[in-house]
Amino acid sequence: MSPDVIGANLIVSLKSFYREKSAVFFTIAFPIILILVFGTIFMNQDDVSFDLHVQDLDQTPSSAQLVKTLELDGRFKIAMVDPAVNATRYAKDKKVNLVLVIPTGYQRALVQRLGLVGGVPSAAFRNSNAAVTVTYIYDASSSSVSPKMQMLQSALGAVNQGMSGEPPFIRSAETSILARKFRFIEFFVPGIIAMSVMTSSLSGAVNMNAELRQKGVIRKLSTTPITHGDWVLSNILYQVILAVISATAILLVSYAVFNVSLRIDAWLPTFIVLEVFAFAGIGMILTRVATEAESAMAAANAIMYPMMFLSGSFFPLEMMPSFLQKIARILPLYYGNEGLRAAMVLADNMTALRCSAIIGVFAAVVFVVGIMTTKWEEGK
Amino acid sequence: MTKETEPAIDVEHLTKRYDDVLAVDDVSFTVRMGELFAFVGPNGAGKTTTVEIIDTIRTPTSGTVRLLGMDVTKRKRDILPRIGVLPQGFTSFDRITVTETIQYYSRLFSRRNPDVQGLIDLVNLQDKTKEQFQNLSGGLKQRLGIAVALVNDPEVIFLDEPTTGLDPRARRELWKVLVGLKKKGKTVVLTTHYMEEAELLADTVAIISKGQIIAMGSPEEIIQGTAKYLILTLKSADERAHEIVRAMGFEPVHDDHRNITVNLEHPSDVRKILNALTDAQASFLTLDVRQPSLEAVFLELTREALRDRSTETMPE
Repeated sequence: MSPDVIGANLIVSLKSFYREKSAVFFTIAFPIILILVFGTIFMNQDDVSFDLHVQDLDQTPSSAQLVKTLELDGRFKIAMVDPAVNATRYAKDKKVNLVLVIPTGYQRALVQRLGLVGGVPSAAFRNSNAAVTVTYIYDASSSSVSPKMQMLQSALGAVNQGMSGEPPFIRSAETSILARKFRFIEFFVPGIIAMSVMTSSLSGAVNMNAELRQKGVIRKLSTTPITHGDWVLSNILYQVILAVISATAILLVSYAVFNVSLRIDAWLPTFIVLEVFAFAGIGMILTRVATEAESAMAAANAIMYPMMFLSGSFFPLEMMPSFLQKIARILPLYYGNEGLRAAMVLADNMTALRCSAIIGVFAAVVFVVGIMTTKWEEGK
Repeated sequence: MTKETEPAIDVEHLTKRYDDVLAVDDVSFTVRMGELFAFVGPNGAGKTTTVEIIDTIRTPTSGTVRLLGMDVTKRKRDILPRIGVLPQGFTSFDRITVTETIQYYSRLFSRRNPDVQGLIDLVNLQDKTKEQFQNLSGGLKQRLGIAVALVNDPEVIFLDEPTTGLDPRARRELWKVLVGLKKKGKTVVLTTHYMEEAELLADTVAIISKGQIIAMGSPEEIIQGTAKYLILTLKSADERAHEIVRAMGFEPVHDDHRNITVNLEHPSDVRKILNALTDAQASFLTLDVRQPSLEAVFLELTREALRDRSTETMPE
């Protein structure tokens, strides 16, 4: 190993990087854009309130009280619908996915049910069979309507419970497994860091092995004292530097714009280095299979993009079907995501250690195989 | 250290096979120290493969190659610091400038204080020092490639088709560089398919066809050893001159009714034709007698080689 040679390669690689605008964009700007876009979309995810359109056909103080109760629940932003319009037509025309219709006779049924006489409940006049049916007019094709209806159901259930005058028999208590409440953006940032390390390492390895070989640069280098080991090591160092630059940019934007609260310690560089080795190794193996630069890059993309979505970089694994979750658990990026989240968000050193061990073993295997399968000299 | 009398390159029974293709077929030759040695041959003849085995890019199937007294298959690490290579179609990092490229390769050879400006001057790239490689023309890239091949002040320089694709002016500028290297006592191995280039620059020319050396020697030796005839050209000759030449039994190889070219086996035939034209008072503007060019000899030799091969392989 020659430090002088490795230094020369690093300088050339870094100069090539900052003079290549698309490389700068994909390494720094692209992950920042992702952070900004997704961070903004999910900024208020913890304070979600759904728009709820309500048509009050009863137009009585009792029906108005029900609407008020729903509004006070906090999960709904109420929009009143003119009782004179057709609610179904209204939902279609206004592209509203749920309209709650309170029927005529709501107050009358409520008075019978509670046995109200002059506004005072009387057991003698209570009619337990008196009931009212509210109607949900909804768009089944809307992905958000189902949780909205569940929320509405639970809110109406609470109203029913309140009317009974009896304390609930089963109560619930909440205990979070997390030490504090986290925001979506704080789970998202480690995923984006892991993803950007993957893309830069994998495409960097493809460029190193296929594109420069195809152009003939490697052939010229093989007539100089630089060794294959010098070349690979300098490229790995270069990828680590790029990954650190990318992660730093992501973190700076996340802190500045979203005021995230993340733990930054030795786990972050550990996962960055392990990921660089793992994905550079995959890149080297790919260029052995697909020797042309274009086909190798296409193969790299075919691996990178599905892995991004399957490994939980953008959304929780639990949202996927179980068979996809099983697939995710054999992908190295999954352990990059999980490990970084464990370290940066949950302060869970044991999970971070387990994930780093898995990705470390994977990295060692693919990197050694990658070194063994890539050629330096034209050889045979 | 290499002994003075030791050849720079010594190749014995070199063979290179790619699956069913025999790229180099039992080739042997030596290159003296300080010599400019040119490999010429048609595309696919085996020039580049032979040179790339010598300069350690490829490995031989069989045979031995000694470069500066060292076996190329065993002592690559010792050889590389002492040679300079311009591979065919030299390319470098697209976004690195001319100066940075030379500095980079100098550092690969652990040259702390390389004479970057001297190399830039040598290949006449003074106006392009800050230009990125991707913005250089083909000729400028080749010139940079030569500068890069010289960063380690090598004893032996391999230049694989350095002038291919260059315009005539750029080619001549590169020739000046090669002559300069020769004057400095460097051993230069050149591959080219420009016969004029080999004839003008090379001390020794090896003509290679179908993986075999079919002729080797100085350009004069090859021409004299192969082409046993002279070429006589009469320019702006009148009609009688045409008739006289034909009447004497010389069939023109070229006749456009103004200029006549005939091949003559004996130098005395020149005198005979001249006398006959003078006696008949036939007019012509100039008379030119010369040996055939290396290109003519090359075409003849490669045609013969191809013919011989097809005869050898013809089924009985």
